[in-house]
Amino acid sequence: MVTTTARPRPRSASPGRVPRRIPAARPQRPPRLPLPRGSRLRLAAPHRRLHAILLAVTFVVIIFAVRLVELQGIDGRAYARQATAQYLHTQTLPAPRGEIVDRDGAVLAASVDARDIVVDPSITKDSTDPTPQAIAAKLARVLHVPASRLLGPLTGSGRFAYLARGVTPQIAAAVLALDLPGVAAQPVMERVYPNGDLGAQVIGFVGTDGNGLGGLEYAYNRQLVGKPGKRTVETGSNGTVLPDGTTALVEPIPGVGLQLTLDRDIQWKAEQALAAQVAATGAEGGTVIVMRPSTGEILAMASVPTFDPAHPESAPPGVLGNPAVSDVFEPGSTAKVITMAAAIDSGILTPTSPIDVPPTLQRVGRTFHDAEPHGEEHLTLTGVLAESSNIGAILASEKIGTDRLYHYLRAFGLGEPTGLHFPGESAGMVGTPATWSASQRYTIPYGQGIAVTALQVADVYATIANGGVRVTPRLVKGFLQPDGTIDPAPPPDRTRVISAATAAALEQMLEAVTTDQGTAPEARIPGYRVAGKTGTAQRVEPSCGCYRGYTASFVGFAPADDPQLLALVVLDNPVNGHFGGAVAAPVFRDVMSFALETLKIPPTGTTPPSLPLRVSPDGRPVG
Amino acid sequence: MALTRPSTSTRGASRRSAGASRWQRLWYGDWLLWAAVLSLSALGVLLVAAATKPLNSTHPFSLAKHQLVFLAVGVVLAVVAAVINYRAIRASAPVVYLLALLGLVATFVVGVEVNGSRAWLSLGGGLTIEPSEFAKLAVIVLSALIVNARAAQRTGIGDLDVAALLGLFAVPSGLVLLQRDLGTVLVIVVIFFGVLAVGGAAARWLTGLTALTILAAVLVVKLHLLHGYQQARLTAFLHPESGTQTYAYNAIQARIAIGSGGLHGTGLFHGPQINNGYVFAAHTDFIFATAGEELGFIGAGLIIVLLGVVLWRGLRIAAHAPDLFGRVTAAGIVCWLAFESFENIGMNLGIMPITGIPLQFVSYGGSSLFASMLAIGLLQNIAIQTKIAARIARE
Repeated sequence: MVTTTARPRPRSASPGRVPRRIPAARPQRPPRLPLPRGSRLRLAAPHRRLHAILLAVTFVVIIFAVRLVELQGIDGRAYARQATAQYLHTQTLPAPRGEIVDRDGAVLAASVDARDIVVDPSITKDSTDPTPQAIAAKLARVLHVPASRLLGPLTGSGRFAYLARGVTPQIAAAVLALDLPGVAAQPVMERVYPNGDLGAQVIGFVGTDGNGLGGLEYAYNRQLVGKPGKRTVETGSNGTVLPDGTTALVEPIPGVGLQLTLDRDIQWKAEQALAAQVAATGAEGGTVIVMRPSTGEILAMASVPTFDPAHPESAPPGVLGNPAVSDVFEPGSTAKVITMAAAIDSGILTPTSPIDVPPTLQRVGRTFHDAEPHGEEHLTLTGVLAESSNIGAILASEKIGTDRLYHYLRAFGLGEPTGLHFPGESAGMVGTPATWSASQRYTIPYGQGIAVTALQVADVYATIANGGVRVTPRLVKGFLQPDGTIDPAPPPDRTRVISAATAAALEQMLEAVTTDQGTAPEARIPGYRVAGKTGTAQRVEPSCGCYRGYTASFVGFAPADDPQLLALVVLDNPVNGHFGGAVAAPVFRDVMSFALETLKIPPTGTTPPSLPLRVSPDGRPVG
Repeated sequence: MALTRPSTSTRGASRRSAGASRWQRLWYGDWLLWAAVLSLSALGVLLVAAATKPLNSTHPFSLAKHQLVFLAVGVVLAVVAAVINYRAIRASAPVVYLLALLGLVATFVVGVEVNGSRAWLSLGGGLTIEPSEFAKLAVIVLSALIVNARAAQRTGIGDLDVAALLGLFAVPSGLVLLQRDLGTVLVIVVIFFGVLAVGGAAARWLTGLTALTILAAVLVVKLHLLHGYQQARLTAFLHPESGTQTYAYNAIQARIAIGSGGLHGTGLFHGPQINNGYVFAAHTDFIFATAGEELGFIGAGLIIVLLGVVLWRGLRIAAHAPDLFGRVTAAGIVCWLAFESFENIGMNLGIMPITGIPLQFVSYGGSSLFASMLAIGLLQNIAIQTKIAARIARE
């Protein structure tokens, strides 16, 4: 340590010291090096000050050390948690939703890989380079939406907002290539319907979250959704997922697919023919159902108006359901077959039993008419059905009694859901004999005063076509497992409703309907034997609860002696013609002949029976 | 950690080389200082590699390679500065000073703006140089020369000398301030105080100028004379909860990075905060955060210890310097390195506001490495003169 004791004045000190230290050899040398002297004289203050600097440096180093211990030792765990929370994120990996295919495997609904473009507004809203406006402008070019619509999410509050949903992976890649702060893409599954609105009412639709909200998409949502996977990923400061940053992965389990009983081609034909006829007749709507009576399989189920399942949000209110199972109407004459079935099955009447039909019938203070005015007629039971006499049906029902009629109405499945388990399916309304009004006892035999769904009517005739055994209708044929196998759907319930003989008799009686003497010669298909029944029912106007307009229908099956296919056509309030035989039967013929052709069902080549429709006044069959 | 020990002699150092050749004299240097500086620089190259690897997937180590080249050039500069003729340094001081001023002026004409400061000169080929880094060194050497010359006639520097030094420092400060590089202005102010203190200025000057500086700082803040980004950095420091601001954001992210490093760190190249881009400037101003996360307390502590060694050896060299020129130069260099280290590590640890000051020897960048390597060379040169003087005295 240099001492501070001696502080002589430099000028007085130097002359005395120079001679002593530097020999006279260089006396001429100017005092070029005054520093040693100078510095020695003034060492005190600089050294104190150097020590002060050292002290300050030491002090700062200690502060740093303490702070470092505080950050890394004491609070280290908390900071590590904070770090983990901001760079590790668990992402949900959407499971592909099960496909929906038709009976031959044609895809009706599928899931495709898509991306939601999302943003963390807390990053973008105060961003200066680029500004939210610049981000919006760049995104708008790639997403093909107005920039103004993106500015809201970009400058909103919170830490999550959607910029676009369900865009293709290609567009998402283009967005990520812009390298915008806070903007990211999330994998999602987008539901697509390759055939547009084909079968929309049966297939249904999904919501923005990918869950089924209508139709089979809704009914079988649990099977279709599968199990989402998840992965834990490292994300960069701008929210993008880093490549190779995946630390944990649970693979999603794809959903189970549905193989439907629908036939895409027949469904298409049914929709086309129905839409054309609805337009031609000025009807408010309509329904077509095509079934296989022996299996209950529904090959086509279409209603007008329909919707685009890809954009259910743009559908008018009230058309997202399936009217074939949810809308009820008074069936009218198609229900007469139940009266006939009850009469024949209980052994009270036969197809040729004579019924004397007066021009009008007085009951409980009301006068009942037939559709066409006529004089006193002598019909067989077959004739009552073929010519669709209301009075004949009432007279026949009086022979069997109300309770027995009720029993058969219920046995044929009216007043309860069909067992299809379709969302929104209606039970219809039959009531019980105890609740029937006096006049209902006389209108129900010819199909007024009860409410049914189109599928219920089809089901009644399918039961007859199937030899009296009712098969629960179904739309799902099997379940497509992720491994590629198909689990067949459980076999449908089979219930005998009427005897095979009764069914055979009814088949023959129904065939008479399509003869020239019947109400629906229009339903005939050349080469095939066709059985069926028209319906021209008074229609309840929902707005007033009164009768206004008609529900025209035709339901039938072919070949009549070996029924392979059944078809039902219902037109709601047609104005250009309203008789079932005139407006509904042609649609039946179109769809049925197309279906027979498509499924390569040959004519049976047999000769139709010729049941007498009329009897002479003395009771002998005529014709 | 004594700065001084009984000094044998402090004179005659520059008269002759005491029988040692220019390169032999290297052995007389301060080996502890060499070791500390080279360790820091090597650590710096590794940390630059770790911090920049995630930035460029095609050439992950391009910046680390640059830094390695910078380091090689820097070591050559340091060695040259260490063995160069002591008198030549003094003689060239005015020229160096004028060159530095010229460089600063040139930034206004052909400068390149980076991070809000127009402080860079483009040398072509993507190379840029920051004249202000060299201006610090130039102002130290010239002021040491003046102190040495003026103090020769009396006890310490007088009032006129202080005024002259004030002018000497004011010119580059003003130019740097015009570049909006407030951090470097602060460094020059600190160097000024170091030179005054060690140069033997009266205590009243030190206290008076300190008071004036504080007053000026308060006025600048109160009158909102700071530029937008400077104000933002200050606000971010004083109110870190306003976390959406970029500066507060980075201060928080740096703290998270350092904190999550723990004792051992996540390992070099394995820091998620750094690799995932949460810390900006992780290879330059915030390289200490990279060290904190990836090397933990051990690595960050090592940097602090090594910097402490550098400053300690520098002060020791100042204390033993053979003349006032050497002492003031060494003290000025120590004040410079000390303040920059303090400010840089301080802002990384969240105890200082953010300024654009790199961590000497460690941060990526050629200019700052060259300048600080030259400074180390000067320190070594002074140390060598001390040894030679001691040998002469023994003989």
